[in-house]
Order: sequence, then structure tokens, then C-alpha cells
Amino acid sequence: MSDEALAGSEEHIASAISDEIVITFDDVNKWYGEFHVLKDINLAVRKGERIVICGPSGSGKSTLIRCINRLEPHQDGHIAVNGVSLDGNVKNIDAIRSDVGMVFQSFNLFPHLTVIENCTLAPMWVKKMPKAEADEIAEKYLARVKIPEQARKYPGQLSGGQQQRVAIARSLCMNPSIMLFDEPTSALDPEMIAEVLEVMVELAESGMTMLCVTHEMAFAKRVADRVIFMDFGEIVEENAPEEFFGNAKVDRTQLFLSQILAH
Amino acid sequence: MASVESSSGDVIVFTPKASKPPPATTVGVLGWLRENLFYSWFSAVLTFATLYLIFITVVALYQWGIADAVWEAESRRQCLDTSPHGACWAGIITWFNAIMYGRFPDVEQWRVNLGFILLFLWMAPMWFPRLKGKIGIGIMVVALYPFLAGYLFAGGERGWFMQFMVFLAVTAFINSWLHVILSLTTGRTLGEWIVGLTGFTDKHERLHKYPHLGFTAIVFAIVYFFLGDWSVVAVNTNLWGGLFLTLVIAGVAIVAALPGGVTLALARRSNMPVIRVSAIAFIELFRSVPLITVLFMAVTMMPLFLPADVQLNKLVQVIIGICLFAAAYMAEVVRGGLQAVPNGQYEAAKAMGLTYWKSMNLIILPQALKLMIPNIVGNFIGLLKDTTLVSIIGLYDMLLMLKATGQNPIWIGLHTEPLMFGALIYFILCFAMSQYSQSLERKLKTTL
Repeated sequence: MSDEALAGSEEHIASAISDEIVITFDDVNKWYGEFHVLKDINLAVRKGERIVICGPSGSGKSTLIRCINRLEPHQDGHIAVNGVSLDGNVKNIDAIRSDVGMVFQSFNLFPHLTVIENCTLAPMWVKKMPKAEADEIAEKYLARVKIPEQARKYPGQLSGGQQQRVAIARSLCMNPSIMLFDEPTSALDPEMIAEVLEVMVELAESGMTMLCVTHEMAFAKRVADRVIFMDFGEIVEENAPEEFFGNAKVDRTQLFLSQILAH
Repeated sequence: MASVESSSGDVIVFTPKASKPPPATTVGVLGWLRENLFYSWFSAVLTFATLYLIFITVVALYQWGIADAVWEAESRRQCLDTSPHGACWAGIITWFNAIMYGRFPDVEQWRVNLGFILLFLWMAPMWFPRLKGKIGIGIMVVALYPFLAGYLFAGGERGWFMQFMVFLAVTAFINSWLHVILSLTTGRTLGEWIVGLTGFTDKHERLHKYPHLGFTAIVFAIVYFFLGDWSVVAVNTNLWGGLFLTLVIAGVAIVAALPGGVTLALARRSNMPVIRVSAIAFIELFRSVPLITVLFMAVTMMPLFLPADVQLNKLVQVIIGICLFAAAYMAEVVRGGLQAVPNGQYEAAKAMGLTYWKSMNLIILPQALKLMIPNIVGNFIGLLKDTTLVSIIGLYDMLLMLKATGQNPIWIGLHTEPLMFGALIYFILCFAMSQYSQSLERKLKTTL
């Protein structure tokens, strides 16, 4: 359905990649106990690049992006974000987290706060912004995701699509340089997927560095500079979208594409 | 189907039927009675039997407690002579002061009343709907009222520290009410008014604290001027008793249990092994022994742990014991709440760069505590009733005082009336807490 929603504008959006490398993964390995979940991941993301990561369940895609803001620690290898190395150092981690925004599959809005309080919480308490300034920024971003009138409501009173857009606005209020999306539309009704994808496309067009784990292939074709396919914890194939969708090199990728593009 | 195309092309127009009221015997009081009490002949029999039981109980209670009761008498003998089958409330009335204050000297009992009235007045603004700065008032009450109350109740010689804290408490009380009055009449907070008065409004927010401190210092000086020489006679804590003692012990335990419980629960969930193991050991130890044992140990063993020249009085030892016990139980309740908060909340807080304590204070604890309100208040109600155990170590709480009324030679044999009176008081207190908890839940119900 979302394919049709985006069908009107099939051309790929303009690229805005600079030379500066903002995220590096060097031979990263991760285990959950004995289970080897990420195997020898090597990745370099440049500023302004939009990357879509796809793959079957359990392939490690969510784990990979969760390693970027240290929601999951890695046991082997080296990860650096904006030049800051991700190790056990808590100050580094907090600094990275305030510069990297994350949008979750299950929204994770704070139910005891209103929409605008959700958005102003981090700027006020992490960046020590005064309330008036934080409110102004929050209202700006709520308008950008097209739900300014919902500011005083509680998350429980909004629909799924609206909640996810609030989640995106909440992350943007911290003015991050990198946005991570962990299957943002997987928990939404089909009618609402379009409104969220629209916001994400607009965000991509503004030049934000984005890593997006998703199954929305039309979105990938339209927005991504690079599509990465993962399976069994390793990167199987990565390529520009035309090459990836048109001329997949690895047989595993071809199998996946044939399944996911069939409907 | 709203409309049907018939083969000739005519459309049948749909008009909905008019709504009718339901039959009279199915709605309202009659309907409820029919459905719940008289739905079959057997239930009708049970209903009448229950009504009969209620009737004879209420009539018997009324007969004993009100109709035949004796309200004025000099001794129990006189009570029984006047009305052998009635309640001897005269005993309760005679002993009322003792039941309320224990052996606190009669002329000094105004101090106890003043202490509780001050607490009530100080806390009252928390219930005013549109007041800002309630959290500030709450923190000041918890931090400063104990000193004021402690001095009022115990009296005697006070060192310079106690003197300072008592005056600070009075200053804070005056400031709180100034703030309340200002907020309700002019809509500005005390802070804003002070700043406006001194012309600091245009300066940076960080400089605002100087006028605030200056104002507080002036009020403090005024308080010192009026109260500087004021002192009250010392009343030994052994004389404290009755409802007064029950409320003091329960009050301190309740106020200490929640923060203590939160700290222990967070410690138990910590990643740092020493903290986690210590918390688990503490909680399991206090949960594995009865409260009576804790009280006995507090009274007999605590002197062994303290340096030789530090002497705590019995009441303080007992209160410390109960606080530790209450914190251990509260820790498990809070831990339940922390587990019930979805993992995504922790992750979202982390992903925004909030530190551990900020995410706990702003995101996790508000949700965890709100989930556990029924359990927490239930714990508090249990604590209030557990204070009766101090009677075992010779502190004259309300229950022991009530029993003591029947051991006096003049009033010997007075058993039922004190216990019923005690039950009534406990019921009022516990039911009030229970109702408050439910109103709190309704007020905080922001999620669907």
C-alpha cells in the first residue's frame, strides 16, 4: 500500500553526501552470551548519507543500529560516532546520545507527559535550555511533522501514526546530526504508514544523516543512498538502490528480494 | 440494508424506528433490585435473611452503644449500676486525654495540638488546585517540619543548631503561606514578587537568588526577634503516648519508608555488584524476621553497635527499627513498579542522552510509583497498624493506653468500650488513607 502512496513521486531525492565520515564500524563483533549476533561488521557512514538496512528477522539489523548509540554494547571491534570512540566511558556515551536521535518501532513516548512535554524534556534537562526556548523549538518541530494542534494532548489520546510523528519530533528537538530509525512503520496501520514515511522523506530531503531499518522498499528506492542487506549477523550486500534492486549480486539477496517484492 | 434497488429501479427509503424507553422494571432502582437481590425465589429468601441479620445487629449495637449507654460516671461500678447492659463511654471520656496524649503533662498538651495544626496548615496548600511550587513546599515540609515538631514535642534545652533549624522552619512556614496568598490573589509566586520589588526582573535568572535569600534572611531576623527567647519545658519521650505516639511513629516511618524503599529498589537493580548484594542482603534480612524481633533487637542490640558515649532513647531506637523494616518492604513494592515499566521507556530515556538519575526521576519513577499506588498506600496502612507492636516493649501507644484504662482499679473490667473506640479511630485513619489513595489514582489517570 505504501508503494502506491509514494508511487506519485518515484524519482530518487537529491544526494547531499559530504566527505566527512560520521560513523565507523571496524571489525565489530557482538555476542548475546554465547550467541554471535554481529559478525565482522565493517561500515563507514558519511555525513548526509541515507542508509536503509533490510533483512530477515533475527539478522542483527536492529542490533547494529542500537550499537551506534550504545543501547547495546559491543564486545569486539571499534565503533566511532562523530569521531568519538564508543567504549565504556559514560560521558562519551551521553554526549553521543544527545547528538544521535532514535525512533523506535513501539514509539516509546512517555505516557505521563503531554506531547509538548515529551519534546521539551531532553532539551531542558540535557541541554539546560530555558523552558520558553524549548517550547518554541518543540512547537516548530511539531508543526514540521504536521501535528501542532496535538501539543497539549497525552500520547494515549493519539493515533499510532500521530504518536510516531511525535516521536520523530521529539528526537529532532535535540537537533541531532544523525537519526536512527528502528522499523518505524512496522507497528502502524497501513493508512498511517504513508504519513510517517512522508515525514521521513522530508527529513531526508533536508540533508539529515539517516540510518533506517525498514521493510518499506519503495521508501528505500526513493530515499536511500545505500541499501544494506543483512543476514545471520553479517552484511551480505550493500549497494546503491538501483544496483541493489535491479542487479543483486548475492543469491541470498536475490531470494530476499523475490520474497519481499512479491506482494 | 439501508436501501435496496428493486428490479423496477425504485429505491426503498429507510426510516429508522422511533426509540422507546426500556420497561420500568429493568432500569433504575427497581431494575437493580430485581437483577441483584431478587432474581430468583432463593435469592429473595437470602436477601430477606441478610436484611434481618443486618437489622438485629444494628439494633443491638444501637441499644448497647447509644440508647443504654452511660456518658457520665465516676467509676465503672457506677456505670454498671446506672445501666448494666449499656456501654460505659464515661470511661473513655474520662480517659480521653490519656488515650490521645499518653502521659504527656496536661498543661503542655497544647504543644502537641499546635504541632499537628502547624503540619496541617503547612501541608494544606498542596491540595489547592492551581498553585505553583507545590513541590518546593513539600520538600521544605519534609526537611524542616521535623525540627519544629521535635522541639515542640520534646522541648527543653536546645543547642544552637536546633535553635537555627526551628527558626528556619518557622521562616519557611511563613514564606510558604506568603507564597500561597500571593499566588492566589495576584497570580505571582513569592519569588517573582520579591524580584519585582527589588527591581531585579530584568537581570539574569541566576541573579534572582540574591533577593530571595535577602528576603528569607529578613523574615528569619523577624522570627528570631519575636521567638528568640521562647522555650518550652522538656517532656521526656517516656511520657509520650496514646494516639500522639502512634502518629509520631507511623508518620516518621511512612515518610522514611518511601525514599528508603526507592533507594533500596534502585540499589537492588543496580549493575554494581557490591551495591546490589548489599541491598539484597538488607531487604531479605528485614523481610525474614517479624517486626517484633526487629523492635526487640533495636532496643537491646543497637547500644552495642554505637560508640559508648552515644545514648539513644528508646523511642528513637524503635523508630529507627521500624523505618528500616518499612523501607525493606517498600523496596519490593517499588521494584515491582520498576519492573512493570516497559523496557522501551528506559531505552527512550537513554537514547535521548538522559543520565541515570535524570531518567529515573523524570521518566521511570513517576510511572513506576503511579502504577504501585494501591500497593504503596496499602503498605502505609499496614505500617500504621503495625505501630501497635511497640506496646510490647513498653511504649504506651494508643492500643496500650486503651488496654491500660481497664486495668485501673476504678475502671477495672472496662474492656469492650476502649477496644471499640480504638477500632473506630483506626478505621477512620485507615479508611481516610484508602480513600485518598483512590482519589490520587483517579487524579493521575492520564493514560488510557
